Amino acid sequence: MSSFEKVGSGYSLDLTLDEAQILINLVEQLLELLGEGDFFHHYDSNDPLAQLLAMPAEIVTPDDPVLLRLLPNAYADPEAASDFRRYTEPQLRGAKQRNLRLVREQLTVLVDEHHGGVIEELDADIWLKAINDLRIALSIRLEINEDSFETFELLPDEDPQKSVYAVYFWLGWLQENLLGLLL
Amino acid sequence: MVNTLTKSEVNISELIDRPWITIVWDDPVNLMNYVTHVFIKLFGFSKERAHELMMQVHNEGRAVVSTGTREEMERDVQRLHEHGLWATLQRDDKI
Repeated sequence: MSSFEKVGSGYSLDLTLDEAQILINLVEQLLELLGEGDFFHHYDSNDPLAQLLAMPAEIVTPDDPVLLRLLPNAYADPEAASDFRRYTEPQLRGAKQRNLRLVREQLTVLVDEHHGGVIEELDADIWLKAINDLRIALSIRLEINEDSFETFELLPDEDPQKSVYAVYFWLGWLQENLLGLLL
Repeated sequence: MVNTLTKSEVNISELIDRPWITIVWDDPVNLMNYVTHVFIKLFGFSKERAHELMMQVHNEGRAVVSTGTREEMERDVQRLHEHGLWATLQRDDKI
């Protein structure tokens, strides 16, 4: 069973090749949803000054429920929420992208060499945040609620959703494992 | 058209003095230990205080985790969102 370990003042993670591949696939999918790299193509900005100042003129509230949960409204009032989003969403999106890219970079080594192994000297804080964002993304797609573990256990093995639930609960276990070392 | 006369009836000094608050809302995804960890990390709470606030979020559906100026609360909300917690800010309505 894969797990995080505390090594001196740092942390490591032991993964099988299958586990590393599952993780890297999820990371890639979430990066794609967040819009990798240049964020401007996500916004309708024809304002040359706004582009020059790296401040999109228009940032709309995301339609995708995963994006709306990862980049939530800060105010109940729609106008205040929209104003706040215009100034802060690029930074928030960027922070999440950076975490995911760093995790992907460390996973790539294992996957490219076609074997599992230990990721040494990982940044526990970044991994916690990245795993949490992956769990949030899966939870929205699976419509996770308080009874979801029972739902998962009752699903027949041939149900295609069963493996997605399994990954979701595995990520929760991994995160709990790392938190146990930190708290 | 906004009727500006009604605005003058609002006690301005009371508006200015009323602080802003950051609220964290319950969700079925974030692990209890993770929420506690984030509270300690972002707000410097003791483990006991962080656990207490986390339990309040869990049991009551929400908890106020910080109080201050609007700018300070916007920063706190942004940092909570970076950690995947569901947070909003508003003017404190208890006063």
